[in-house]
Amino acid sequence: MTYFVIFLGICFMLGVLAVASNPSPYYGVLGLVLASVVGCGWLVSLGVSFISLVLFMVYLGGMLVVFVYSVSLAADPYPQAWGDWRVVGYGLGFVLVVCVGVFLAGFVDFWKVMVVTVDSGGMSLVRLDFSGVAMFYSCGAGLFLVAGWGLLLVLFVVLELVRGLSRGAIRAV
Amino acid sequence: MNPHAKLVFTMSLVMGTSITISSNHWILAWTGLEINTLAIIPLISKSHHPRAIEATIKYFLTQSAASALILFSSLTNAWFTGQWDITQLNHPTSCLVLTTAIAIKLGLVPFHFWFPEVLQGSSMITALLLSTLMKLPPITLLLITSQSLDPSMLTFLAISSALIGGWMGLNQTQTRKILAFSSISHLGWMIVVITYNPNLTFLTFTLYVVMTTTVFLSLNQIKVLKLSTMLISWTKTPTLNASMMLTLLSLAGLPPLTGFMPKWLIIQELTKQEMTPTATIITLLSLLGLFFYLRLAYHSTITLPPNSSNHMKLWRINKTPNTPTAILSALSTSLLPLSPLIITMF
Repeated sequence: MTYFVIFLGICFMLGVLAVASNPSPYYGVLGLVLASVVGCGWLVSLGVSFISLVLFMVYLGGMLVVFVYSVSLAADPYPQAWGDWRVVGYGLGFVLVVCVGVFLAGFVDFWKVMVVTVDSGGMSLVRLDFSGVAMFYSCGAGLFLVAGWGLLLVLFVVLELVRGLSRGAIRAV
Repeated sequence: MNPHAKLVFTMSLVMGTSITISSNHWILAWTGLEINTLAIIPLISKSHHPRAIEATIKYFLTQSAASALILFSSLTNAWFTGQWDITQLNHPTSCLVLTTAIAIKLGLVPFHFWFPEVLQGSSMITALLLSTLMKLPPITLLLITSQSLDPSMLTFLAISSALIGGWMGLNQTQTRKILAFSSISHLGWMIVVITYNPNLTFLTFTLYVVMTTTVFLSLNQIKVLKLSTMLISWTKTPTLNASMMLTLLSLAGLPPLTGFMPKWLIIQELTKQEMTPTATIITLLSLLGLFFYLRLAYHSTITLPPNSSNHMKLWRINKTPNTPTAILSALSTSLLPLSPLIITMF
């Protein structure tokens, strides 16, 4: 089980590497799909299964699908592919950043890998993620309103930015 | 822009700022910062000019990266200390990452490259919002966590901001870029004293907001976007140009005007903390800024510009009364005698 979870972690890093070193967005989104699938598996291994399911459905099944649809409508016929020297450059930069981050965070003996989990203080009857969402609707109602306003604001911002066709902010349409 | 959309964006700006400055949990502080970033994006890109769109994208990318860094710093602090209180940011890595994130958000050197270009791409009022209102939440977070941050890193950020702000402002002819570099050097003055007396940082910030709002509103009224336009602007509003000269010299920090008060108090505090070389260096570096403020003041009051002799003087003058500019202009030139009262208020 530990090795499976470590494999999930390695696949997550590979997915993020694919996103960071993508030659064009159509290939970067493949890395994003891999990273989110594996990230959901990692969340299940930590115990917060509800959040994992919500992430799967909303992020992978909602946002990534909409992204792929809209990008396929505006696709250029001959995009840059993986066999380009830029991919090597981005990949090396990503590896360097990860090494610096690992060193700064203090895990210098990083060959000793281990898997940590979070539990709700040992009481497995109280699910942390589910009760957190329930609190979002009860005592955290103010933050719920703030989050709802933030989403409405994003809608207005996007509509304002793409308004006007070729006279608007995105002149390529 | 559609008035309803504009209302939503300005309300969200106020809401985001209030959420961040009144929060004591890191997630709420981050939420307010993100709402601010989202709400000002359509305001920057309002004119749909390619330069404005580029400014919008630069602003969005830098501010999102800084928000992600703030989230990382709070998460690592929560992992190591088990709590999310903003005042209890104790872990050294979290403090370092937070200092970097706030430096990116404010535009401190060496993360200042986005600021002049974003200000140049936006309208004068949006540039005013970017320089004053959008700086309030990050400064608040820095003030709340100032006791656990690294003083030597903050002093390095401050002195290099004063240096780059003064030096790079010398070669500018566009007034918005000049005000961007003036903002960077004033932020340097604010940051140099934050670990010793955070009240002085807040005092400097408040007085800087008053003075720079005056300058932005005055420049907006006479529609001056570059120095050559300022040379012939005195015929539109002679009084405004005269008062703008005093406001610009106040921004430069000259005695008997208001802008001298924060510089004086900061030098006094640094000397009390045995940081005399720092005080000397940052005072000498503000001389660089004095040159371009003097140049702006000269351009605003010159009555015989070096144009060809038959240049047309503007004769259609519409004098619309502008109360906020008048009030702020009076505040930004005459508050120095009230220093004892103002010190007790902070």
